Amino acid sequence: MSILKHYRTFKGGYKFFNFTGQPQDIIIDLGVPKVIFIPLRQGFGVEVKPVVKVGDQVKTGQIIGRDDENVSSPVHSSISGKVKEIVKKNYFGREVTFIVVEGDGKDELEKLPFSEKNWEKLTEEELETKLYLSGVTSLGPSGIPTRYRSSVIGLKEVENLIIHGLGSEPYNICLKTLLKGKNIFYFIEGLKILKKLLPNAKIYLCLNSEEKRIIEEIGKLTSDIQWLEISLLESKYPQGYDEMLIPIVLGKKFPYGYSAANIGIISLNISAVLHVYEAIVDGKPLIDRIITLSGPCFKENPHIKVRIGTPIGEIVKDYLKSEVKVRLIMNSLMRGYELKDYSLPMDRTYTHIIAIPENTERKLFSFLRLGLHSYSYSSCFLTFNKLEKYPDTNIHGEERPCISCGYCEEVCPVRIIPHLLSKIVVKHLVNEKLMHYGIFNCIECNLCSFVCPSKIPITKYIKEGQEKLIIQGCDRSRCILPYFNLKGLEEYQGIK
Amino acid sequence: MIRKILNLGYQLLEKNKKLKKLKPVLEAVDGFFFGTDKVTTFTPYILDYLDIKRFMATVILALLPSVLASIYFYGIRVILIILVSYIFGGLCEIAFAVIRKKEIEEGFLVTGLIFPLILPPTVPLWVVAVGIVFGVIFGKEVFGGTGRNIFNPALAGRVFITISFPKIMTVDWYQPLVSGWAGFNRFKPDTVTSATPLMLYKSDKILTSFKDLLLGLSPGCIGETFRLGIIIGGIFLVLTRVANWRIPLTYLISVFFLSYFGNLLFPEKFGPPIFQLLTGGLLFGAFFMATDPVTSPFTNSGKLIAGVLLGFLTVIIRTFSGYVEGVMFSILLMNAFTPLIDYLVVERRYKPNNKR
Ligand code: SF4
Ligand code: SF4
Repeated sequence: MSILKHYRTFKGGYKFFNFTGQPQDIIIDLGVPKVIFIPLRQGFGVEVKPVVKVGDQVKTGQIIGRDDENVSSPVHSSISGKVKEIVKKNYFGREVTFIVVEGDGKDELEKLPFSEKNWEKLTEEELETKLYLSGVTSLGPSGIPTRYRSSVIGLKEVENLIIHGLGSEPYNICLKTLLKGKNIFYFIEGLKILKKLLPNAKIYLCLNSEEKRIIEEIGKLTSDIQWLEISLLESKYPQGYDEMLIPIVLGKKFPYGYSAANIGIISLNISAVLHVYEAIVDGKPLIDRIITLSGPCFKENPHIKVRIGTPIGEIVKDYLKSEVKVRLIMNSLMRGYELKDYSLPMDRTYTHIIAIPENTERKLFSFLRLGLHSYSYSSCFLTFNKLEKYPDTNIHGEERPCISCGYCEEVCPVRIIPHLLSKIVVKHLVNEKLMHYGIFNCIECNLCSFVCPSKIPITKYIKEGQEKLIIQGCDRSRCILPYFNLKGLEEYQGIK
Repeated sequence: MIRKILNLGYQLLEKNKKLKKLKPVLEAVDGFFFGTDKVTTFTPYILDYLDIKRFMATVILALLPSVLASIYFYGIRVILIILVSYIFGGLCEIAFAVIRKKEIEEGFLVTGLIFPLILPPTVPLWVVAVGIVFGVIFGKEVFGGTGRNIFNPALAGRVFITISFPKIMTVDWYQPLVSGWAGFNRFKPDTVTSATPLMLYKSDKILTSFKDLLLGLSPGCIGETFRLGIIIGGIFLVLTRVANWRIPLTYLISVFFLSYFGNLLFPEKFGPPIFQLLTGGLLFGAFFMATDPVTSPFTNSGKLIAGVLLGFLTVIIRTFSGYVEGVMFSILLMNAFTPLIDYLVVERRYKPNNKR
């Protein structure tokens, strides 16, 4: 184990400073909801089949949906009660089956099999089965492989495992809160479990270089672990995404457009490791998650522990400010989804619910104002990193032609020239050239659209160009496949 | 108050069919005063606070020291020149916006200010009007407006009038006013001289003192002489990231080295390096015109190439041609080469089969 003195970073990107409404250092348990809506497609993998019928009695943690044939993980009921209905609903643009469970308030937990306080006594097969049944395998962008089909690659094919606890988004889960008290030991136990599960993998732990205390603590606790390497990284957006982590931590090229699993790499975040520990040692399936309520439109910004399947409205109702018009966004201001229907539930993939004001107010001479609280890539505003920044949904200006200021190129983390690509797409000159210019390398981090002073939705145009190219028969595989030896490709295409 | 007037304007437009064409004008004014109420509809949900208005306003802020100094040196007539430039340039812009049914773009706020600053102080007002109209139309609008223009419109106008009215543009220069309130309460200076420092050097090998050059006590174009202010404004621009540092830096460095070696080898032809840096419109051009993002290369290596090219051209024109000043021509030439430079750089970077 070695701690690097200096953090590593990449060219481009953008550091979000001090957005107002950062999560506070408290965890509130939201308790047991009365009704839950469980989507059968959560996290990594395909939709699973329901294994319960309407009217069935279920317990907390009982598996209500699973599919052992396809790449997927089982889904659990997060409360005990009766299955009320099984319906299809539109969920983020997809038809997904939901199981609705009405609670009876008993909340009896059905534990996973092979309960054994000392996990080291469990055999590898038992560990895998337990982990698979817990549903934890669906966390992370490419799943955790087990003997079952929970990822596109097999257990032995994993060469590297990246655990990241980076906060590169405007709002981040607070590591201090997550690893408070005993949790830090649980986390390290979780790492050991993963190592046993994935014997061929080298494990990398990536931490934010600014979190000195946690780094020290973990460094002390893991000083005798040979297979773990800690890397310190700069918390610059989009550092937390696989596409950036892998080149920086491993020095490998990323097959843009495919999953990290295709080159034998699995990446997980810190809370997923904690869930692994809970599943194996406590026998608790994935029935709740810690998420944050971030952003200026919440009265407080706690971390909350929520049962999966709790409707969004239920979660936010006591915290939302009532005097402003609010927009709720899931997970990330840059890449997330807008939450329009508050009756939809939260699922395994949630990490944040962010509330920012819908700003339609017009200010006199807005472009001449000092802007102490304005965030900007340029330094045209009199502001400091220490000052709080107020995010809102206003576009802060009119759309104008591109002036080739080059900001988008400077921030682009994959070193392509966004404005050139978007201009070509707008002019309908889509042809192979776009491919050579690296259009398929775009990881849709949306930074270029964010910084553009002309307010051009560049990422949108780039996506449009990609779609057109695919229609023309230029597949992204042509830029990727010749240079990589990808694993698990067929399964991967099945998932898309 | 302004809101009320604007609403009145909108009502008028609603009633009167003929006036409807003027809608972009009103919208532009509206946007200018009140900003926008639009919100994001897809990712990313937050956008940077910087917009084009702010971008351009920053350039104008950086130009302010030069503007103030020029009024101090050359009297209140400078304000008149700037006004003429804004009014005629603005009218052209509006006319094109109405014809094209597009929104009015903020770029002309900068063009309209830079243009008067690079004119000689004796310039007649009608020449200002002709120059800016030519610049806006042929420098910008024929290419399709801001963002598509190849040449810097202010420079295009300036070069046009230099070529069409050489007498007016190069013969008479005012000696700047310096004592007391100087230009702030005078309409214009009365002493006319015939030579700028560059001319003096070319004809008689007289070197003007660096202090005079820095503070703008020697004759020159309206906004180009107060070089301390230009340097401050330029550094401000670079710090705010509105101007990229690459072009000014390579430009100045290459001028320095070329004239250093030139001066070493042919002392009677090349001026000494520091003198070269501080005379004429070099600093102004390097910081405010060569950095115009639209007309300079967008690739980073392209910017470096452009800077070196500029330095080279400037020194060559200053030394060997009939003109005393080469900054404008070299920037214009660089503008012309910009698409080519970018094309070559991009092609090199993205060679097919280049394993990336
Ligand atoms: S940031 Fe916007 S204006 Fe600047 S070069 Fe990119 S697309 Fe053009
Ligand atoms: S081009 Fe793609 S990868 Fe680059 S900044 Fe834009 S969205 Fe991000």
